[in-house]
Amino acid sequence: MADEGERLLRDSKFLVNDPGLNHYVLGVLCKTVGDSRCGGVRLYIVRTAAFNAAMAPNGMLVVNTGLLLRMRNEAELAAVLGHEFAHFEMRHSLNGFKQQRTATDIFAWMGVAAAGAAYYGGGYGSVRSYQSAQIGAIGSIYANDRAQETQADLLSMAYLKISPYDPGCFADIWERVMGEADATARGRKQRIARYDRVSFFASHPTELARAQYLRDIALKMNKGGEDGSQRFRDAMAKWRGDFLLDQIKLNDFEGTDFLMGQLAANQWTPDLLYSRAELYRARGNPRDLVSAISFYRQALEGDHNNAEAYRGLGLAQLRNRDPSGVEALKTYLAMRPDASDRAMISTLLQ
Amino acid sequence: MKNPIATLVIGFALFSTPALASNTLIPEKVSVAVAKSPLTVTLSREWNKMGARPGRKSETWTIDGDGLNDVTFYGGIENDTTLFREISKRSKPLPHFASTMLLTDVPTLFENSYSIALDTQLIKIDTVEPIDFLGRKGVHFTYTFSRLNEEVRRKGEASATIVDGKLFMITFEAPDVFYFQRDLPAYRAIVSTATLAQPGVK
Repeated sequence: MADEGERLLRDSKFLVNDPGLNHYVLGVLCKTVGDSRCGGVRLYIVRTAAFNAAMAPNGMLVVNTGLLLRMRNEAELAAVLGHEFAHFEMRHSLNGFKQQRTATDIFAWMGVAAAGAAYYGGGYGSVRSYQSAQIGAIGSIYANDRAQETQADLLSMAYLKISPYDPGCFADIWERVMGEADATARGRKQRIARYDRVSFFASHPTELARAQYLRDIALKMNKGGEDGSQRFRDAMAKWRGDFLLDQIKLNDFEGTDFLMGQLAANQWTPDLLYSRAELYRARGNPRDLVSAISFYRQALEGDHNNAEAYRGLGLAQLRNRDPSGVEALKTYLAMRPDASDRAMISTLLQ
Repeated sequence: MKNPIATLVIGFALFSTPALASNTLIPEKVSVAVAKSPLTVTLSREWNKMGARPGRKSETWTIDGDGLNDVTFYGGIENDTTLFREISKRSKPLPHFASTMLLTDVPTLFENSYSIALDTQLIKIDTVEPIDFLGRKGVHFTYTFSRLNEEVRRKGEASATIVDGKLFMITFEAPDVFYFQRDLPAYRAIVSTATLAQPGVK
């Protein structure tokens, strides 16, 4: 089953086939779990904006571009890849399958017994106990997964302990994931999730629980390490802009703005400023346009070769009824004489 | 999720056919008002109008069947509304059209709406050019997309303009293999006849 899935994935248009990026990500995994272990892993980077990764029992490791976007440094990437590899090493998918079989056999058997009881006049009590056994069995499938997630977190921390990386990074990820989810909920005027209670059906521990136990373990390890943030930035340089634009397309203004703020930390780089400007221009309320114009200008101060920033600046100004947008658009066309939207942009100059 | 038809409509290629909706044959050489709007086109061949509509202000026509060659009419999308019905307003809200948008913002709105509704990062606007559409300045753009877990590459073409703060647009999309090239002239023929009836004039 996994092999067939892998064959489809290998030929998918969604695959990011950049050899440099694939080599880098696989290299981080090897540095984390050791060269002897990582040899059998086949990595597939998939162009999907959601934050996720998965590992199949046949050694297929799938990493979403949305995950790469959310990592701030190499050590965080190492922690997540280590977590996925830990599932593989502990044969969780296979054990999970066996456990599911056992649990579903229980409900099948209980179903027969309860049906029999009802048929022979066993009444309501039997049916209800059947239902609770069924729910209990479903719960055990998920609870087992949750326990496996925790085990994988712990094994990943063990990998980090003997790796060159700083184990403290793993907890940081979950803290940011909670912040982003809260920002998304706020933006969509939805209730903010509670992180202190685990739902009965949850397959993963809550992010809060994860952040707490990972932080505790890292403190006990008392081990520093590198975070490899410069190497990570270099490896992602070619792609981060595209992945940010994928994220902007999700129409999640608050979540994306939070994410960009986290990526920036204290340093808004020109590429992040440009992406943030695009985010604000896309929502396009009058005050968003004012913010967008200011972000484009700051992006251009840092990198005056960014023709796209002149384009965005001009369009934001024109939409905001500021005729000086024409000048920015002229600059864009001068810098990109072969732009695919040249004719369209030219109509705005008149 | 309240409207089962709406769910089904967006469920396939944005515009699929639920069993309940009836499709209608539109004969050639007639002028018809589309998408319950003043947008009017004259046909040089037969088309099938899909019973299921992508949204309140739109309708889809096809020759061979949904997903093979679809022409969609957007008849006056109003300020602060979406291009088509949302799959999930809660978890996947679509961006809204704004009357203040520039014509260059329309392809982006379209791209982002498709990206969310079809769950794909693989949609790309290929070209954007000015045109005259409905007797006004308009925008013409072409696009390419594939859906996740469906490796068919589809191509599309759209003509749009904004009239009195409302978006009017006609799109065509079909699999890149065979259908797109074959049926593009039929779509362009429709676009070339499109007019906007004056208010009050039937």
